[in-house]
Amino acid sequence: MAVSFKEVTKRFADGTTALDRLNLDFELGEFVVLLGPSGSGKTTACRLLAGLETPTSGCIEIDGKDVTNVPPRFRGIGMVFQNYALYSHKTVFENIAYPLRIRKVGKAEIERQVRSVADLLRIGDYLKRKPSQLSGGQAQRVAVARALVWEPAICLMDEPLSNLDALLRLHMRTELNRLHRRLDKTFVFVTHDQEEAMTLATRIAVLKDGRLAQFDEPKAIYRRPANRFVAEFMGRPAMNTLDGKVEGGVFRAGTLAIAVDCPDGPVTLGIRPEQIEFADPTADDAIRLVVDVKEPIEPDTLLIFQTSGAAPVTLRTQRNCDAIEAGQPVAIRFPKDVLHYFDASTGQRLR
Amino acid sequence: MDKFWKIIAIGVLACVLVIALTPYLWILLTSFKGRLDILAPQPTWFFTPTLANYPAVFIDKDYLPLVFNSLIIATGSTTLSLLIGAPAAYVFARSNFAGKEDLFFFFLTTRMAPPISIAVPLFLFFTMLGLTDTIYAVVIAHTTFNLSLVVWMMRGFFAEIPKEIDEAAMMDGRSKLGAFVRVIVPLAAPGLAATAVLCFIMSWNEFLYAFILVAFEGRPITVGIPGLITPHGTLWGQVAAVAVVATLPILVFTFLVQKHLVRGLTFGAVKG
Repeated sequence: MAVSFKEVTKRFADGTTALDRLNLDFELGEFVVLLGPSGSGKTTACRLLAGLETPTSGCIEIDGKDVTNVPPRFRGIGMVFQNYALYSHKTVFENIAYPLRIRKVGKAEIERQVRSVADLLRIGDYLKRKPSQLSGGQAQRVAVARALVWEPAICLMDEPLSNLDALLRLHMRTELNRLHRRLDKTFVFVTHDQEEAMTLATRIAVLKDGRLAQFDEPKAIYRRPANRFVAEFMGRPAMNTLDGKVEGGVFRAGTLAIAVDCPDGPVTLGIRPEQIEFADPTADDAIRLVVDVKEPIEPDTLLIFQTSGAAPVTLRTQRNCDAIEAGQPVAIRFPKDVLHYFDASTGQRLR
Repeated sequence: MDKFWKIIAIGVLACVLVIALTPYLWILLTSFKGRLDILAPQPTWFFTPTLANYPAVFIDKDYLPLVFNSLIIATGSTTLSLLIGAPAAYVFARSNFAGKEDLFFFFLTTRMAPPISIAVPLFLFFTMLGLTDTIYAVVIAHTTFNLSLVVWMMRGFFAEIPKEIDEAAMMDGRSKLGAFVRVIVPLAAPGLAATAVLCFIMSWNEFLYAFILVAFEGRPITVGIPGLITPHGTLWGQVAAVAVVATLPILVFTFLVQKHLVRGLTFGAVKG
């Protein structure tokens, strides 16, 4: 089931523009994660696809058919809500069976399908309970089961894990991954958690201010961010970005001087904290910086260096840093092959 | 100290109970008194009870159909108010449109005018429609004030149900109307019950509109009572008997839904 957003704009009554000419296409069987900070329009995009909102302009196509004005029930889409939205007056069984009951499926068939999806999600033991007697994780599974039981081609999930505690979230994440591999369905998953996005997605759509910042595989998003926003948004801690100038193959920002492969002119240099290396203090490319703050986040250590005239630089390493104290100078190097270059004014990736 | 306040609280409650219940008890006793006991210059708690007042008014004076009229009017106006008011309240709880809060307040203002001020216009309307002296006139008149009650109470109950429930129902395959009728209404059932009981009581107790709009056929029980004030004197025993019967359904209903009733009433106050 191919989905495509064509120049979709959504403006709300209060004047805020949630989506600004969004173009997005994806195919059957993909696990697409809509990722972005709050207010980036990711939930709006999901609700537009569901049919719960109508776009101000532009159109949405499913399998080549324009569904922009088609009501939700005719779109063949299941949805899991952030707060689960279970029917509290019905049992778990009836909650899951509800989409089938609406479609007037036979009694035996309902029983069979509910059982099978309940087994898939390991909630077979709770079918007689009411939603109020379930834990968060169980309620979450019931919501997923209800969205999948009638076998829609597309399943939408709007921040489904954000109400769970950290451990359970990890567990459900793995379950969803398993589910996607077993079912031949398109999943669209909204989150602001980049780790969730990285682990679940076949492709991530990073949104910023209602616009698509980048749409690519998780690997590519991390390794080749299309612009400065994606570079800084993905990865923890954020990518170091330094505004400066290249002159004769040397990037200069304040007192920093780094050898680069980049034509002369103003540029923003980016390097991931985990790709900065310790250097031999006597080497040519060694940069001596003073440690400002040391943050042990076992097994890793974060070293934050103060630079004069440029932004602070963060280094993340697995090496034993017990000997390093704040205030101490450390020699580091920025390997050429892991540097990212962004246009100083537009923030777009160069090359 | 806690014990001290507990005693004080019980004392206050006891006083309130005595003040509230004495008149009712008086009516109840009066309905079992003979004419002499009722008019005795020194009223007594102890007397020879008689059941004569009840058959005298309900069978000899044929007041029994009036109880049924009251039932039909109260049920009819409650049903009508819920049918019109609940969807309206749902829209107020869910949708945003220009002038929403003003329109919502307008529903309340319909209750601000003293009933007597619109009694005559109502009478004229129903005369033109040819509905005076029919039970329909009273049902419609009672709906005019019950409607605002429904809209104000039910908005809070609907607002308490997360919007995602409607949306989940729509994703599961319901239309917007289907989601309301099949999912939201059952979820709001306790609120609907509380509102219905209040509407029923309001209509059951109403006297003025019914008195003006019907004289014979469709008379409810409240309008029947003045008929017992005769040129030869007021038939206090029978008045009391009618009053006791008239309060019974209210007692029963209130006991049945008292939990929801308190919640429903405080709800509108906080969220409305």
